[in-house]
Amino acid sequence: MHKYILRRLFLLIPVMLGVSFIVFTMMYLTPGDPARIMLGESAPGHEVERLREELGLNDPFLVQYGNFIKDLVVHQDLGRSYTNSRPVMGEIVSRFPTTLKLAGLGVLVAVIIGIPTGIISATKQYSLFDNISMVGALLGVSMPNFWQGIMLILLFSVTLGWLPASGFSTPQQMILPALTLGTSSAAIITRMTRSSMLEVIRQDYIRTARAKGQVESVIINRHALKNALIPIVTVIGLQFGFLLGGAVLTESIFSVPGLGRLMVDAIGQRNFPIVQGGVLFIALTFSMVNLGVDILYAFLDPRIKSQYK
Amino acid sequence: MLKNKKALILVSFLLVFSLVAVGCGSETASGPADPNKLVVAQPSDAVTLDPHGQNDNASARVRLQMFETLVDQDADLQIIPSLAESWEQLDELTYEFYLKEGVKFHNGEELTANDVAFSLRRALGSANVSFIIEAIDVDSIEVVDTYTVRFSTKESFAPILAHLAHPSIAIVSEVAVNEHGEDFGQYPVGTGPYKLANWEKDEFVDLVRFEDYHNEERFAKIENVTFRAISEGGNRTIELETGGIDIAYDIPAMDINRVEESDDLILIRDMNFSTTYVGFNAAKEPFDDVRVRQAINYVVNMDAVVDAAYDGIGTPAKGPLGANVWGANLDLEAYGYNVERAKELMAEAGYADGFTAEIWTNQNPQRIAVLEMVQNQLADINIKVETSILDWGVFLQETAAGNHDMFVMGWGTVTGDPDYGLYALFHSSGHGDAGNRTFYTNERVDELLDLGRATADEDERAAYYHEAQQIIRDEAPWIFTWNGEELTGTQTWVRGFSNSPAGHHALWTVYYE
Repeated sequence: MHKYILRRLFLLIPVMLGVSFIVFTMMYLTPGDPARIMLGESAPGHEVERLREELGLNDPFLVQYGNFIKDLVVHQDLGRSYTNSRPVMGEIVSRFPTTLKLAGLGVLVAVIIGIPTGIISATKQYSLFDNISMVGALLGVSMPNFWQGIMLILLFSVTLGWLPASGFSTPQQMILPALTLGTSSAAIITRMTRSSMLEVIRQDYIRTARAKGQVESVIINRHALKNALIPIVTVIGLQFGFLLGGAVLTESIFSVPGLGRLMVDAIGQRNFPIVQGGVLFIALTFSMVNLGVDILYAFLDPRIKSQYK
Repeated sequence: MLKNKKALILVSFLLVFSLVAVGCGSETASGPADPNKLVVAQPSDAVTLDPHGQNDNASARVRLQMFETLVDQDADLQIIPSLAESWEQLDELTYEFYLKEGVKFHNGEELTANDVAFSLRRALGSANVSFIIEAIDVDSIEVVDTYTVRFSTKESFAPILAHLAHPSIAIVSEVAVNEHGEDFGQYPVGTGPYKLANWEKDEFVDLVRFEDYHNEERFAKIENVTFRAISEGGNRTIELETGGIDIAYDIPAMDINRVEESDDLILIRDMNFSTTYVGFNAAKEPFDDVRVRQAINYVVNMDAVVDAAYDGIGTPAKGPLGANVWGANLDLEAYGYNVERAKELMAEAGYADGFTAEIWTNQNPQRIAVLEMVQNQLADINIKVETSILDWGVFLQETAAGNHDMFVMGWGTVTGDPDYGLYALFHSSGHGDAGNRTFYTNERVDELLDLGRATADEDERAAYYHEAQQIIRDEAPWIFTWNGEELTGTQTWVRGFSNSPAGHHALWTVYYE
């Protein structure tokens, strides 16, 4: 098991190098001059040229990439933001707790809604509850986040005046973004739980459990759910990893200062250091979450653990 | 069956609940949540609190409360003392400033001429803001004594005082800059009525009143100010309606009626210094023909454009400068909507059958609306227009390179002086990246703009600028489109707030009632 984890961690090095090269190349090839964007349309051309020189944007591609990797490996430095000269690492690290909180709360909402609904739907297949929850899930998946966010604001902030419409400092401010983010994931988890449970419930050992008179709730929770969890955990892990990369729309609607907005703003401003640092960071967290999910499999299913040699 | 009934009851209950909820009105507050705190929302957070760092509006709005400049401008754009009590022009190029004594920085240090000389040199050394005072010869900056500083401009430059009043040319504490280096933007130290208390990037900036502030007239009335960054315009309005904030900057057009009609809110609207224009590439056929440019100006119904694209906010532009800029030529006549005249001009120019052209803009909803309307109306004189929405960076790059036919863009004359609003845009030395993206060239305009820059006498200066504006209006390197408005929403208990046409609003004047 330890060997497996170590091997996976080592594999991260080429992955990260590949990601950094791809991002660097893409940003380099994207038209639009960071110096001009920073200085605005009213700055004279010679100042733009001076800033380009200062930022090292006139160096050849390989020199720029080489400097980036050298700083990263030798000094563990991702550089400074073009726009406010803050260290990139600091910018990302300061946003990450917010993103982590938002993603965590979103997944929590999704799990609280998704798993019980999925289980009940599976055990009462084709019942009214099942039909309603499947329609709900379909709506949840197809409803765009931004629309849903605005509707929630309309109801809870404007009409009822119960919750604030923006910000992310107080617990009240966190409810609407978490709900917005959580519902689409909840829909996916509901569907996954339902289909996974349906498959397990039809298996022989469940029939055996019933035949020997086991209580239904124990059959569902202990025998069926645990075996049905592998694909559900995979989906939850993927959703969590995905949300950690920043939920741009939700962050924009509710003015949440997360990674997503940082990245989108940085792309618009051609703030290369932030984009490069941010993508590397997101790739790293995504890989770590995936690794975490793989390790979790081993605890859920001893058969898988035996394969991790 | 029974279970289905239960579910039905549950669904009905939820439906009724949501209907009732939608029908209920929310309660609004009758006074500020905290009488010692003013909460202001703007579309984005400050990028940096270092005045010599970035020249963006969001940063300037916060920094204005914390930093001061040598001189300032009053509501009529007249230069008034600020950190400099008085000043003198020693000869055509040289200026001497006498500082107010006993001015304290937020770190307790006293302001001296050294700080001023240091700040000017630092601003001139910053690629982000140096263009504002590039007229100053950096080697000439001299500390005469503790409270006197002197410098010269490279050549005669009449609007220098207006440029020194630009919020990005703020005076910073030399000690604090040396202490924090590149991180000065996070530990800003100025002399303004407020100082930084706490900054959560992209969420809020907390300022607290500077109790040792030197100017009684500008002593802040409310102890704490919080700037919140709320990017969605609709959300700023909602936060205002629900009492979450006291002042909301940049109310979106679609919310104007809601704010205006609300008994609990006040909308403060004033013309600002912004101009939107559709530029031609005057160096390229067929736009090098003045008749074509004029014809297009005649065929665009600007009233309709402003109504549709800007919901009636602001006014159609008559010339290159807004009416509130000093030296604006108020006698300019708008082209007006005249399709027949446009057709004649097109025929005279040999384009009776029209031509095909491209028009570009960036991802700005209003500019896109302008672009679409112009496209539509140009069909009346057989001009077939293809439109492209470009990313901002690409847009700037391509228009600077002269690869365009027509483009929709904007400009802000932030100093309120015509030099700022004309020189870069119409002087032939500024072709391309420097601001003249229309590649317009007219020797007389060049001459007038140079004279305006060099002449100190106000009447003479105004006359040069009036003539330049008349020529530019007649030669039409732009479709003169729109002059914008500042739209600020406040609670009814907010008093003492007024819009600044440059968009940098003072908050030390605000109080509650």
